[in-house]
Amino acid sequence: MSGTVISFLVLYYVVVLGIGYWAMRRGAGEDLEGYLLGGRQVGPLPTALTLQSTSMSGYMFLGAGGLGFAQGYWALWYAAGDIGGGVLNLSVIGRRMRKLSQIFGALTAIEYLEKRYPSPAIRLFAGILTVFLLGFYVLAQLIAGGKGMALVTGIPYPAALAIAVGIILIYTFMGGYLAVAYTDFFQSLIMLVGVMWIVIAAVSELGGLTAANNAIAELDPTLLSIWGKDLGFQGQWGVVAGALLIFSIGYMGWPHVVTRHMAMTKPATARRAGLWATLWNLFFVPAPYLVGIMAILILPGLDDPEMAIFEVAGKLLPAAVTGLVMAAIMAAIMSTADSLLLQTGSIASRDIYERFINPKASETQMVWVSRGLVFAIAVIGYVVALVEPPTVFGIVIFATSVLGSAFLPAYVCAVWWRKANTPGALASMIAGALVSFVWQYAGLVETTQVHPMLAGVVSSTVTMVIVSLATQKMSPVPPHILDALDASVAVGPIPGRFAEASDLSLANEAAAIEKTLDRGDRHG
Amino acid sequence: MFGLPIETALLVFGFPLFWILYTIMFLVVTRDWARDSAADDEVP
Repeated sequence: MSGTVISFLVLYYVVVLGIGYWAMRRGAGEDLEGYLLGGRQVGPLPTALTLQSTSMSGYMFLGAGGLGFAQGYWALWYAAGDIGGGVLNLSVIGRRMRKLSQIFGALTAIEYLEKRYPSPAIRLFAGILTVFLLGFYVLAQLIAGGKGMALVTGIPYPAALAIAVGIILIYTFMGGYLAVAYTDFFQSLIMLVGVMWIVIAAVSELGGLTAANNAIAELDPTLLSIWGKDLGFQGQWGVVAGALLIFSIGYMGWPHVVTRHMAMTKPATARRAGLWATLWNLFFVPAPYLVGIMAILILPGLDDPEMAIFEVAGKLLPAAVTGLVMAAIMAAIMSTADSLLLQTGSIASRDIYERFINPKASETQMVWVSRGLVFAIAVIGYVVALVEPPTVFGIVIFATSVLGSAFLPAYVCAVWWRKANTPGALASMIAGALVSFVWQYAGLVETTQVHPMLAGVVSSTVTMVIVSLATQKMSPVPPHILDALDASVAVGPIPGRFAEASDLSLANEAAAIEKTLDRGDRHG
Repeated sequence: MFGLPIETALLVFGFPLFWILYTIMFLVVTRDWARDSAADDEVP
């Protein structure tokens, strides 16, 4: 185990914890809105980078590298959609969701769904499904963190896993969303530097990109094709479309990602955040796939493709740089895991505990319930990751496909389609989740050659349209929601009448809005 | 290009180019979003 590698990791953890402590001192944990949404004071650059670093998980360093190693340039189909995922998300729903969530006084992405599609069933189903899927997603991050740290530092896997989980828990508890947003900001910069360093080292080692590609062509020319090794995906446009969609439009259905819109300083923050997201993605997203492809030549006898990036780093880089790359990898894992834990805890506490179990819960109780659940999920995740760890790629594709399929039409139609109603949204979520789940576990990908994400999104979208139109008379969208929707679409200030509407119908949320507005006045 | 078949080069370089153009278009067509900025101040 290299002392230099450990020094870099310790330095990295100290900085991350320092940011969490700063966020706590700033008062981010004082009330629920501060804890869950950072008081809606997050600017364009942190918004873009927290959006991207949350989206880009340990998958990028394990799954993406492994896919590049196994399938060659075919893996770039995933990157091709992913590069635009951030700007697409911000441009399609960012601004409108920011305004509508403020009008509704919604503090979590699931609460927002219930306010837009008023029914307890929406919140119950969406809350339970999200907690379940995000729990799986957290598991993938824990496994990635434990495997990576154990390999590079030589620390035994159980201890490495415990260290990663412990650090994530500490700073998520310290400052809530603000700590997560600003540590994500720092971590995204580390991720970018680390991955660029390793891709440059890998390409240089092989004498440049052209020389590397020529060498791959001599080994197996199909690895350079867009159809994968041995042309295994030739003509399978259904699989290609799913690969493109899962990390482009798919993000719009991920509750832990769309929460970023609700925390923006102002609706127009989405513009500059979109620019930063694209710039960051252009450099970051293709790099892990490329390192995986280069590893075909650098590590021809590699047993576990998911370890390609770790092994390339260990082989090519000096200890100091390996430490930086290791910190970058841990940053990718932890920046996603902390957001997932915070979202899972807040959805479970606010959308399930307060909404259905203890409606009179105080804000302090809520914060502590959220923290208790975060702790429980981390412990369960730790045990599963220790006893029987599945592959990171498999878990991420499963969780993200089902999430995206279930929630994409609900979030997009919430701000773009006035006729989207409660029965339509509920049926759409159920259809998307079921189809995507069954598609993966009944082996339908192989027989139909259609990606589960594509099958799920088509099902949920068609269901949303058909059921909403069929039930318009029975369950019309209430006038106050249409009014709020119009205000979120119009460019201009939110009309003052919505503050009174919030006071009448949303007692505790109205108090949270009032605090924000007082803060806005002081800053304005 | 870089030793890649044409369709692979299009995949590697074409999609990033598309997203750059998309981002520029997004910034151009949303210039008036700045008028939302006063929103927080105008709600009583």
